Amino acid sequence: MTEPPTDDATATSTPDDGGDAIDPRLLELLVCPLTKQVLRYDRGRGELVSEAAGLAYPVRDGIPIMLVEEARTLGEDEAIPDELKADPEP
Amino acid sequence: MSTPLVFDTAALHRQRERHAAGLMEDSFLLDEIHTRLVDRLDDIKRRFPRVLDVGARHGRLARTLAARDPDTVVVSADPAQALTRHAPAPRAVSALELLPFADHAFDAVISAGSLHLVNDLPGALVQMRRALVPDGLLLVAFPGGDTLVELRRAFTMAEAELTGGASPRVAPFVDVRDLGGLLQRAGFALPVVDVDRLTLTYGHPLALLADLRRAGEANVLAERSRRGLRRDVLMAMAERYLADDVDARGRINVTVDLLFATAWAPDASQPQPKRRGSGTVNLARAMGVDPAILEGGRPDDEADRGGDGDGDGGKGGGGDGSG
Repeated sequence: MTEPPTDDATATSTPDDGGDAIDPRLLELLVCPLTKQVLRYDRGRGELVSEAAGLAYPVRDGIPIMLVEEARTLGEDEAIPDELKADPEP
Repeated sequence: MSTPLVFDTAALHRQRERHAAGLMEDSFLLDEIHTRLVDRLDDIKRRFPRVLDVGARHGRLARTLAARDPDTVVVSADPAQALTRHAPAPRAVSALELLPFADHAFDAVISAGSLHLVNDLPGALVQMRRALVPDGLLLVAFPGGDTLVELRRAFTMAEAELTGGASPRVAPFVDVRDLGGLLQRAGFALPVVDVDRLTLTYGHPLALLADLRRAGEANVLAERSRRGLRRDVLMAMAERYLADDVDARGRINVTVDLLFATAWAPDASQPQPKRRGSGTVNLARAMGVDPAILEGGRPDDEADRGGDGDGDGGKGGGGDGSG
C-alpha cells in the first residue's frame, strides 16, 4: 500500500510521503468546497465524505482531490450514520 | 447560473493537467512574479506560521518559504493533480475559486500568477478572506491591466478583416483601478494595489503563442470559437502584429502588467477611520490657514486650479470626494 506512484519517477521531492495517508496537518483544515461543512475521512475507501453535499472526494496517493467534478455522488444505500443525522422536527 | 462565465473551468483544468510539464518550467515571467512577491513578503515584519498558496503549481513558493523559515507550514493548492503531486506536503487539489479550507485556517494566503484565470474574482477573494485569521495577510500577484494588449489588437483586426467578426482570443484582464475596490468589497481592510509594467520582446508572434500555450495559458474562454483558429487568421494576426508593434530590432513588444495586492482580514487592532463628525480640531487651524477660506466659499484663486494643478485635483477628488 505504501508503494510510490510508479508512473512518475520524479515525484521524490517529499520526504514525508507516507503513501496513501493524508497529511494530518491538512486533514484538520479541509472542508467541503461547496458547503464548507466538515468532512468525514473514510480511510477504508480513501475518500473524504461531505454528507451535506452528498459527495465523496477521492484521496489519491495521499493527496485529497477536492474538485466537485472528480467527486463521487453518494448512493441512496450509503446511509448517513445515525449520529450525524439531524434530529427530526417534533 | 444566470451570470455568464468568462472561463471554461473544465477546459482550464484539463489544460493545466495536460501542460503540467510546461507549467513547471521556470519562465522569466514566473521568476519575476515569485521574486517580487517574496520581496513584498519580506517587507512585512511578521511571521506567518500557516500559509495557503492558491494556484501553487508544483509548490515553488512553498519550497522558497520553507527554506527561509522551517517552521512555516505552506499548504499548496492547485487544480491540476499532475502539478500538485510535485509540490511538498501538505498539498491538495482544489479549484481556484472553490476553496476547500476551513474558516480562519491560515495566517496568510498567497497566490502567484493564477488569479487572472478565475471567473468570479470577488467570490474567490471572499473565500480567501474567510480562510484567514483576523489580521491575516492576503498577498497576490497576477497579470492584469493592459497585458497582451498588442496581441488582442492584432487578433481582433485580423479576424475582423477576414471573417467580418471577432471571437474572443485573449482573456479580459482586471484593471488595476478596480482591484482595490474588489478587495474592499470582499471585506478586506487596508488594501494596497500597485502595478509593475514589463515589456517583453519576442522574435515572432507565433513564438509568443507557443510560449503561452506551453505555460498553460492557451485560450480557455467560455465563448471561444469551437472551430479553433483558422490558419489565415493566425497568419494575418502575425502580419498585423509585426507591422504595428515592433521595437527597433524588429522584435515584437509584449506588454505585461503585473498587479500586486496586499490586504488584511479585518481586525479590531488595525487602524480604523474615526467616526464622522468626531473631530475636535478645526481643519483650517490644523493646516494653518485662515478659517474664513474654508467657510466663505471659494477663494479667488479658482482660475489657477485650471492649470497645472488639474491632474492632482482630479485624482484626489475622484477617489474620496464622492463618499
